[in-house]
Amino acid sequence: MKILRIPAVREVLRILLAITAALLLGFIITLLVSEDPIGAYKAFLTGPLSKFNRFGDWLEESITLIFVGLAVAVAFKSKQFSLGAEGQLLLGALVSGSIALFVPLPGILRIPVALLAAATVGFIYGWIPGYLKAHLNANEIVSTLMLNTIALKLYDYFLIFHIKPPNAGYNASDFFPKAGVLPSFVPPFMGDIYTRFSQQTNVTIMLYIMIAAFIAAYYMMFRTPFGYELRMIGANIKFANYGGINTKRTIILVFAISGIFGGLAGAHLAMGIHTKLIMNISLGMGFEGIVVATLARNNPLFVPLAGLAYGYLRAGADVMERASDVSREMVLVIQAIIILLVTAEGLLPVIQQRVAARRGANGQNAAALEGGENG
Amino acid sequence: MAALVEMKNIVKIYPNGVVANNEVNFSVERGEIHALVGENGAGKTTLMKVLYGLEHPTSGQILIDGKPVHFHSPDDAIAAGIGMVHQNFMLVPSFTIAENIVLGKEPTRRGLLDRAEAIRVTEELSHQYGLKVEADAIVETVNVGMRQRVEILKTLYRGAEILILDEPTAVLTPQETQDLFRAIRKLVSQGKTVIFITHKLREVKEISDRVTVMRNGKVMGTLPTAEATREGLARMMVGRDVFLEVNKPPVQRGRKVMEVQDVSYVSETGRSMLKGVSFNVYAGEILGVAGVEGNGQTELVEVLTGLRPAASGRVLIDGKDILNRTPREVRLAGVAHIPEDRLTNGLALTASINENVIVDRYYNKPFRKGLLIDYKQVNKLGDALIDEFDIRTPSGLVPVASLSGGNMQKVIVAREFSFNPNILIAAQPTRGIDVGATEFIRDQLVRKRTAGTGVLLVSADLAEVMSLSDRIIVMYEGEITGVFPNAQEVSEEELGLYMLGLKRQTPEEMEAYL
Repeated sequence: MKILRIPAVREVLRILLAITAALLLGFIITLLVSEDPIGAYKAFLTGPLSKFNRFGDWLEESITLIFVGLAVAVAFKSKQFSLGAEGQLLLGALVSGSIALFVPLPGILRIPVALLAAATVGFIYGWIPGYLKAHLNANEIVSTLMLNTIALKLYDYFLIFHIKPPNAGYNASDFFPKAGVLPSFVPPFMGDIYTRFSQQTNVTIMLYIMIAAFIAAYYMMFRTPFGYELRMIGANIKFANYGGINTKRTIILVFAISGIFGGLAGAHLAMGIHTKLIMNISLGMGFEGIVVATLARNNPLFVPLAGLAYGYLRAGADVMERASDVSREMVLVIQAIIILLVTAEGLLPVIQQRVAARRGANGQNAAALEGGENG
Repeated sequence: MAALVEMKNIVKIYPNGVVANNEVNFSVERGEIHALVGENGAGKTTLMKVLYGLEHPTSGQILIDGKPVHFHSPDDAIAAGIGMVHQNFMLVPSFTIAENIVLGKEPTRRGLLDRAEAIRVTEELSHQYGLKVEADAIVETVNVGMRQRVEILKTLYRGAEILILDEPTAVLTPQETQDLFRAIRKLVSQGKTVIFITHKLREVKEISDRVTVMRNGKVMGTLPTAEATREGLARMMVGRDVFLEVNKPPVQRGRKVMEVQDVSYVSETGRSMLKGVSFNVYAGEILGVAGVEGNGQTELVEVLTGLRPAASGRVLIDGKDILNRTPREVRLAGVAHIPEDRLTNGLALTASINENVIVDRYYNKPFRKGLLIDYKQVNKLGDALIDEFDIRTPSGLVPVASLSGGNMQKVIVAREFSFNPNILIAAQPTRGIDVGATEFIRDQLVRKRTAGTGVLLVSADLAEVMSLSDRIIVMYEGEITGVFPNAQEVSEEELGLYMLGLKRQTPEEMEAYL
């Protein structure tokens, strides 16, 4: 039981327990709607690992989820309920995709420039609701949702009227040239493995950027003065203000930095997964960040685990839909129920409190009985 | 003859494992005023909630008039003649006093509330027990003293024979306290019994017949008040000797450290809360601000510390105006602030002790190392302060929320004192904390002052203002209405007259001493 006292262990356990409970409930529903529930659920549970390309799909989607999860975690940790990741993602995809398509630089420059541009546009597009919140006291939930709409319409406008080739039959750009596509995360000299990964999956160097991003986010949040300011604002903004923290400046920066991760998620979608700009490139991916961040308790350290776990559920649901008689609607219902349970923050704490209360009652009793005399 | 109330071997363990009452025996005789004293968290209020049916004892027995009773809810207790006036009043602010008194047991006529009858019974009760109220006034328009009388009348209206008053004087001025004591004596002369919860030992001596002392969930003893001394009671409460009288060396007034000139503040709702307040704070003195709460003291402190914008005026520190600057600029000018409401402003409850003590200095050396915060240094500071300020905690890494009120306040005091301020603004520094921590914090305040810090002390506890201050100003309705250059020479009653606005000095009289 000693190992349970380590917070990180408890946190991982909590995530796993939540998912197990969710899976059980999902199975019960599958029992009700499927002729072959075991087969269907097996597809759901093992689907993402059943084929190499599905494994790749899972990783790809998880990377996007981890980026948007980081975006949300940074904002939520300071109790700024920004829902703007969706808009930042769209603009990140638009800007990086445009550079990938049109800027005549060699790949070694074009890709960094595109990524930097995506991060910058995310930063700026995050800065706006931050400024509105800090200086005009605009509710961030409303402002970020409105900005999401603006971003979506801007994306569609530029795609349809400026980026799409005039003779194309549907609303999408050309495929990006090779200099504008993120390279595989496996270096070419690794021969066989390289071929498998680069041909069957779109897992790119974004994997490394993601790892760097979550470590950077963790250090920023828990080791830097800015992170301290961010967390104190989240814990008690009046205290932060009383203590001399410039709360307005910090809030604006929180929104803006959160936007960087959103922008990078967009670059990953455009330059890593689709390698072209398409309509509905996001489909609400930005909002999935809320699930990931909540699951990770807004701690960047746990965002990768939460992103992989949630990505697995989503990939599994896709496989189940394709490989069984469970309809897409039912798959979505099961998935939604799983999310509900997974994000129910109280699940493990309730058990913990019960245990702690029982232990505490005994301990306190003893303390109270021997206390008193020595005061 | 059996005692009126007898509580035998009461044990109360909360679901979270806290043992609030541990084998408590407590008895009250008919017609007595029984004081129940103890530090915060000693279990006084829990014991009374058990008696009032709000809490169910884990084990133990309650006898009323020798007969065992089981209260499932306050309704049962009320039926048995027990009434309780809580620390926080439970009145409907938008109702009239008469409506509040009859609420729950309304006189009706044809199914509707009979207002005339409600007013009649209110006035009759008011007259019978000498508790003066205006029956048709709206509760939110009357002062705290009257609201308290309404609460008492309400319990009497429901037929209470035994009244439990939970820290009734915490919100009252000296005059109101005297009125309350007179009313309590009158109640007792008419056959009622009163249980009086307090932690002010002076009041115990003044009003009670017998006193029971609790500590750590246990009764340490019950004795006739005539045989008790304040020192003896304090020792029983805390478990060691306590120095109630503040011992301070004579004042060595130094240079002017803060000049407050004509400061005004208008609240967000347009009310003028500070009307041209001017005074100076000198190094090496404690300047006390007395006043009934709500007369602008909170606003004054928050304007001086940069938490609220002033409408006009100047606040000079070393010739530099710090009014309407950010809290950080005010701090950098050497002003420390112990805030009135420690949970709202003073602490981040979910953050650790160590993170709470660095909020004013995390960005400076030695806590800043390059881009990062050096948490080794942070923890070192935390450990040092925990040690120096005697904060009772397993470590500096636990959340502040897990500490007791007194220890939370020590965290604030540790932070504010350890940056060596020139000016210390302390608002209600000992409110709601236990005797031990109060003694410690008062002692620290006096030490700072003797070491040359200018202290501005705002407190609703008049005894605290009087015993700690070297000089006292009184605030009434946003103005300074009196200044007493020698705090030792003014009486409590005299201050009370200024606090209630019944007396005031002219600006000319005050000028030389502000």
